[in-house]
Amino acid sequence: MTAVVPPVVPIVPIVPITSSDVEIATRAADHFTRIYYTTYDSDTRLNDLPQFYRPNSSLTWNGKPFQGVEGVRQLIEKMPSTKHEVLSFDCHPIPGTSPPSLMVTVSGNVTHGRGPAGNPPTTSSRNPEGQPRVFSQTFLLVPDPAAPATKPGELAKYYVSADALRFVG
Amino acid sequence: MFSSPTPAPGSRAIAGAALRNAGLIDRDAPMRDLTDKPGGRKGSSKIRSHRPRAIDAFKDAPSQTRMLSSRASSSHAGPSDPLSIRGASRLTPAGRLRRPAILSTSVSGDTTMRVTSIRASRTKPVEGWRDVVKKRYNPETGFLNLESLIDDELVKKFGLVPPGHGGDSRDAAVIFKLAGQLVPKVQTLSLAKNNLQGPHLQHLSHYLPHLANLSLQDNRLRTWRDLDFISSRRGKLLHLRELVLLGNPIREQSFREDNGQRYKQEMAQRFSSLEVLDQEAITQISFDLPVPSSTPSAKPTAMTFPYEMGSSFVTGVDGSIVSNFLIRFFNVFDNQRTALIDAYDPNATFSFSANTSIATRARIQGLHTSAALPNQTKLNWKPWISSAGGSRNLTRISGGFDRTVKSLHIGAPDVVKTLVELPGTKHDISGPPEKFCLDSFPVMHGQGMGLLLTVHGQFTEVGTEGIRSFDRSFILIPAPEGSRAKVNGWDVVILSDQWTIRNYSSHEAWKPGPMLVQALSRQQQASQAPAPAIAIPTPPPSQPQQPQQQPQPQQAQPFDAQAALSSMPEAQRNLVMQVCQRTRLNVRFAIECLAGNAWDVERAVANFEQVEATLPRDAFV
Repeated sequence: MTAVVPPVVPIVPIVPITSSDVEIATRAADHFTRIYYTTYDSDTRLNDLPQFYRPNSSLTWNGKPFQGVEGVRQLIEKMPSTKHEVLSFDCHPIPGTSPPSLMVTVSGNVTHGRGPAGNPPTTSSRNPEGQPRVFSQTFLLVPDPAAPATKPGELAKYYVSADALRFVG
Repeated sequence: MFSSPTPAPGSRAIAGAALRNAGLIDRDAPMRDLTDKPGGRKGSSKIRSHRPRAIDAFKDAPSQTRMLSSRASSSHAGPSDPLSIRGASRLTPAGRLRRPAILSTSVSGDTTMRVTSIRASRTKPVEGWRDVVKKRYNPETGFLNLESLIDDELVKKFGLVPPGHGGDSRDAAVIFKLAGQLVPKVQTLSLAKNNLQGPHLQHLSHYLPHLANLSLQDNRLRTWRDLDFISSRRGKLLHLRELVLLGNPIREQSFREDNGQRYKQEMAQRFSSLEVLDQEAITQISFDLPVPSSTPSAKPTAMTFPYEMGSSFVTGVDGSIVSNFLIRFFNVFDNQRTALIDAYDPNATFSFSANTSIATRARIQGLHTSAALPNQTKLNWKPWISSAGGSRNLTRISGGFDRTVKSLHIGAPDVVKTLVELPGTKHDISGPPEKFCLDSFPVMHGQGMGLLLTVHGQFTEVGTEGIRSFDRSFILIPAPEGSRAKVNGWDVVILSDQWTIRNYSSHEAWKPGPMLVQALSRQQQASQAPAPAIAIPTPPPSQPQQPQQQPQPQQAQPFDAQAALSSMPEAQRNLVMQVCQRTRLNVRFAIECLAGNAWDVERAVANFEQVEATLPRDAFV
């Protein structure tokens, strides 16, 4: 009888997540959320925000789909001014990708237009309109194979491959 | 997973070059590091020691003419020149002796003259500082060198009090403000050798928010708190790429105590944009950042949303796959979490985060004190924050890096173990569908495709029976043939699961339809429906005749439409608006009509059409 040799290498090798991965991912998410919302809230958002995306990016804004850099532009062009306040965010390196894709979820408040100050003076204090909304936004950040690392220590340049936003409160 | 968790070979040299180009370090800084602190690099691996180092470049090329010439080209190179601080009498390309000579003799003709004239005409410290800042700025490189201000000729002449030598944070603010006014904008700032402590840096980010490179070498920064004044954790200096803290107690002590690795880790977390720290590259992921010089586009002026709130959006996948998954997932999640072991990929990741703030709109609607929701006051955040490794709200994890790792659960067994420890839940997934909202579309996953699924909704917390809102994001992939998931009937398997738990907000937030940016004025409210082109009703006789451009608001009515509207939930208000729009009924009658038709717009409108002829004139706007 011949012994059956079990395969040594698994068919789909999964690279385990190390604590160094977590460190890098956390940092990247921290950096990303700060600059993303600062950019969104700035006067230069129309030029700057689309830079986080690529033509193959998919996004939804409150259930409405948009595609790519142009889609982002189209979405924010006529958007009222915003002020985002991030109250919670989290980030995972996604198993089975290398360098890993990152899923980032953000929970926070967003004020549109002039906020409560922009309401007509007769507005009742019980009227929630004009008050900040709660938003929930999920990003998938992936490395851009077309943008090789140029800086010391840089692993890769990442972009927003998917983005799903909802007003939730 | 990340291919290179340590800096790439040669990165030190690159970093050194970058710093030199930025003018942040001078040539003997690495050498001093080697000689003065032999044990100071224990954090670095031995492997790295054979890599090219910045110092090698200096050894091979003793005459850094490029660097020197760029320094010399900043024409007022006086005692402020960084080279002069260390190399006491090094020769410049011009053959001129450095500091000692300069200090004792004239700097150059025109500077001397300028100084003289200033002394004659100006007295205010701010004017003095303005000259110092201007003299020390090299507009070509965007480098403002404020090293060792106490030794500055002008500082002495004007009798200025530099921060760190008697000057406090307000004195520093004056200097930073002047620096912020320089054109072109300052890219690189050296505050080396100024005896500074944390509070001196308090206003730095306010005046120089886009600063890219900062040297604080040889100052007195001692604690993490000192660094909070410039940390991105506190929203400061979000564009900082390079930072030098060599020669500060906070760094030197860490290395002396063999804590160099922890120092680097903490620094990396506190300065999320940093690429180079103390001349060493930090491994990082980068993004296409907006450049500060980006052309400003028109300031956003829109006062309406360009798009309406849409209903749940699922594309690129059979909707039944998503709904089957969710129904089963939440059922098992609520009833027998251990059975979810098959729903998670063996390598899956899971974490939960608490956003403990109370939403403004929910507060206004009284959702946390409402008699209709008596259990809300019993809710407690404690189990969500401290159990099972703790909430992974990364804005709140300040107590070090360990918790960041501990609160991320990796692998199906760890995930399920964590889930079991969390409070029990009841998701009413088969109840009213409008209480949940989901978006799902395919995403890239490595070489293949995955599915991004986000769910927003509410659950009842078992025990307190209070209601919480949640957002949950999944990355799903098809369950591999023959996998435990597949065998157990899961078509898709979870790769990643992030769960945000919030205080309860009403599901009206995602009610499909138009959304308002600001509250409407009474006038707008009354005329919210752009009056139909035909038959604008004549105003009631009690009112003076008005030109017909605008329907009259209902001021004359005892019924306060505004108050009635503002006291009702947003969703109901939207319904009223819709009915007003379609029927031209005024707010009061629209509310009555809706109330009599179970708040169903279609039924209300149909009912209206039946009785329209019988309605009094004052039922309309």
